[in-house]
Amino acid sequence: MDSDIDISQMFYSESLKLQNLIEAINTKTDMNVREITDTYYQVINVSSIAAMLKQHTESEEILNKIQETEKMISERFNSSIHPEILTRLSLSIQEMTKTLQSENFTEKSKEQIEYDAKLFEDLRQKMSTREFVQQYEIGISHD
Amino acid sequence: MIENLAKNLVELKNEFVKSYEGKSQIQEVIPKSNSELFQVTDAHLELLHEFATKNPIYYNFFEKKVGSIDCIVYEGDINRFWLNSIQHVSSKAPFSPTWIMSGYIATLFAKELGYSEVIDIGSGDGRIAFCAKILDMESYSIEIDEMLVELQKLLSNKLDFHPYCSDAVKFDYCSLNFKHPIFFIGGLAQMGGADLAEGVLQKINSISHLNNSGWVFAGTYSQKYAPDPKNKAGWGTFIEKNNLKAIQTVSLPTVWTFHEPESTPYIFSQSI
Repeated sequence: MDSDIDISQMFYSESLKLQNLIEAINTKTDMNVREITDTYYQVINVSSIAAMLKQHTESEEILNKIQETEKMISERFNSSIHPEILTRLSLSIQEMTKTLQSENFTEKSKEQIEYDAKLFEDLRQKMSTREFVQQYEIGISHD
Repeated sequence: MIENLAKNLVELKNEFVKSYEGKSQIQEVIPKSNSELFQVTDAHLELLHEFATKNPIYYNFFEKKVGSIDCIVYEGDINRFWLNSIQHVSSKAPFSPTWIMSGYIATLFAKELGYSEVIDIGSGDGRIAFCAKILDMESYSIEIDEMLVELQKLLSNKLDFHPYCSDAVKFDYCSLNFKHPIFFIGGLAQMGGADLAEGVLQKINSISHLNNSGWVFAGTYSQKYAPDPKNKAGWGTFIEKNNLKAIQTVSLPTVWTFHEPESTPYIFSQSI
């Protein structure tokens, strides 16, 4: 019984964190890699707790809260924010790739090459974030 | 003697990692001259240095004493080649080279095992094929990425290690008239190397007189990759499935293990 209470309290606090993240995204024009992965981890985290809690509770209040949270994930995140993130990531990768491909590498100083290496590192990070986001997409398409 | 060279190179790398303060994407060292720990003829060392100084992936080099060994440190960047290679659908793994000195030691082993030709599959800038040529073996370098093959052509003027721009799985190996070849497979098993090796092995097995060929696989013990249930640094299942037997494993430094405690195990194998 105590563990059920613990899980429901955890669900309330984690759902609130997710809601705050989603509200914050609405006001942002661009998200960095850390913000993207934090948001997806929180969506996955809340969805898992909700799935577990549904099997253990008969409380109408909690079931209503679960439904409300699932609706927020489905309508606001899965249908709107997630496709937007994927599109922006893909566009950003495309632009960075094009810029880096157009660089003239032969006449660069040591300092410039080492500075540019950071841009390549950013590109790698964005590519692996896109893979992660695409994996999420595969997951929701199987739900 | 070759085992000692390999061991000394790993120790040199470990010593170098402790003292290296540069910011380059890739870096490696080559001893300046023949010494007790690195008994390599000066003529061979000179050619290895020439390969590095002519190679546009390196943009800086300087002298440094690493442990008791006078070395040249080469600093480089392979990002533009990575960018190009990831756009090949059939490219199995992005370009990331072994150390030049490791390529030399690995081909010394190949020669000692009695092989007459080295074929570097997924050869990057062609350094393994180049090293084989230093040792008077015949060598061939097969690479799918045209930008890398252009680079190889720059480096093969003096010692022609025969760069070919081709998908190694579709290459016509019959045309090269091998006698006793050994194939170096680029890429870890978990990074597409197993698929590449499978494709090439099938082609070679279809040529009857080449069933005594040697195979060298680059493995890993890193926990970043799923372990193979049959071990052999990720190649155990592949080796067993293809009726090969591992005859020797040699650890050597590579660019991709520079920040790792373990070097890259190269697994030398042949048909049972």
